[in-house]
Amino acid sequence: MQASGITTNQSPPYSLPMRYLVVGILFFGLFALDLARQASGLVLGDPGAPSVVALTHLLTLGALLSFVMGAVYQLTTVTFLVPLSSEKVAKWNFWLYVLGFTGLFFSMATWWSMGLVVFGTLVISAITIYACVLLRTLMKVKMKDAVWGFIVSAHLYLLLAISVAVLLILADANIFPQLNAVMPQLIITHILLAVGGFFTMLIMGFSFKLVPMFTLAHGFSIRGRARLLLTAHGTMVLLLIGIWTPYRLFLVIGLGLAIFALVDYLLLLRAIVKKRMRKRVDVPIRYAVFLPLIGIVTLLLVLWQTLIPLSVLAWQEMIMLYLLGYVTLSVIGFSYKIIPFLVWTKRYSQPQPGRKMVMIAELIQYKTTWPVMLLFAIALMGLIVSDTIHVQASTIGFALLLCVSIFLYLYQILRVLNLYLTFKEMIES
Amino acid sequence: MIDLMAVQTALEQVLDPEIGIDVVNLGLIYAMEEQPDQTLRIAMTMTTPGCPAHDSLSYAVQCAAEQVPGVNAVQVEVVWNPPWTPERMSDFAKERLAW
Repeated sequence: MQASGITTNQSPPYSLPMRYLVVGILFFGLFALDLARQASGLVLGDPGAPSVVALTHLLTLGALLSFVMGAVYQLTTVTFLVPLSSEKVAKWNFWLYVLGFTGLFFSMATWWSMGLVVFGTLVISAITIYACVLLRTLMKVKMKDAVWGFIVSAHLYLLLAISVAVLLILADANIFPQLNAVMPQLIITHILLAVGGFFTMLIMGFSFKLVPMFTLAHGFSIRGRARLLLTAHGTMVLLLIGIWTPYRLFLVIGLGLAIFALVDYLLLLRAIVKKRMRKRVDVPIRYAVFLPLIGIVTLLLVLWQTLIPLSVLAWQEMIMLYLLGYVTLSVIGFSYKIIPFLVWTKRYSQPQPGRKMVMIAELIQYKTTWPVMLLFAIALMGLIVSDTIHVQASTIGFALLLCVSIFLYLYQILRVLNLYLTFKEMIES
Repeated sequence: MIDLMAVQTALEQVLDPEIGIDVVNLGLIYAMEEQPDQTLRIAMTMTTPGCPAHDSLSYAVQCAAEQVPGVNAVQVEVVWNPPWTPERMSDFAKERLAW
């Protein structure tokens, strides 16, 4: 029997991931409130309107990225068995991020150019620091497998996405007015790098770790992962060439490859689930395995739109479908597992003589999570269809239903967290 | 002399928080050895490397073993070789997982 020789305590202090997770959840609530406020103006609204841009970034930067940063700080240490390169930097970077994003949100909502430059710089600095802490941590990993490749790649794409964001800010502030000529390409590149490069590759990488862990799967093949990683990079390169050159063919081939990659990913996940030891799989994990289908449907629509161009609105709806239907729902699904696990580790993992051990499943009723996720999916589909066919009443109705599903999710998660106790624990740790 | 059966019974109270099955029936305990100074050395594994319950499970095993009369101290070593496989689970565990 060979000893591991691995230090057991790699996890960062509870307060580090939790502060990012809690803020991500609170910003998700604010996103729902802002969505409800803007619901009546969504139909025929300008996707480039300040309020819509601010709303989109409230979701991507405020809710999703903040949540993802917390989860990644925790998961990286347990997945790769390495400590973070600097917990101290990761801790104070949180304040830079929150301050920067709050300012950026209000600057976007009012389109205050100076605010965009100042607070945009703060956010970009905070994201760069986060990516550097992560990449330095990942460089220490001894076994550099495909999962490692996905996480490293995701963070490199994140750095590229914020580099493009810098160009967007410089163009908007008229510091480099010549960039205005390529504004549409810059915006699409920014979205592709952030959503396709960062979020999608991150979800893929950690799914390969989390799905087997939560289904107790063993004996499945991991050979297809390297192929998927290569396909994903190939997709990104082809799409970038397609965006920046007049050759539409690159876009078509790139989208075809993207669809192939998501189908491949879906099949790899299903192969894991087939080898599970837990017959009954918890709802959030079942959803996580099913959700790439939404990504595939979206990409098929994008391919159709590329072949037969429709309108700017169609692009907006497709981005919304991918971002909310695939990325956000995947994050929601994994959050149902990650947050109770962290809370359990903090509050119930220390054995108490005479006290029955508390199980994670006692903190959250998983059977109550599927109606919330289903309601979210139905509301989103309804919103997209209503907005596409310009029916204002149902657009407002489905937008409000989406908000209701988000509040139900927040209710479930905040019950697990108990914010008062969480803040107390964070201060103490 | 440490009663290893008593230790095993104590470890049957240590449950995997995610699965709800104890570490003994899951087949996570590889070996228990008494050292000359009545220190108990336990070699255990996890269902997967990088299991998030890594620290809490090994600590819970240590605490449970320390409660057994005759045990002076406990050293828990988490090992990865041989890796855990589902075959290590008891029939009871397989039944609980509805397999």
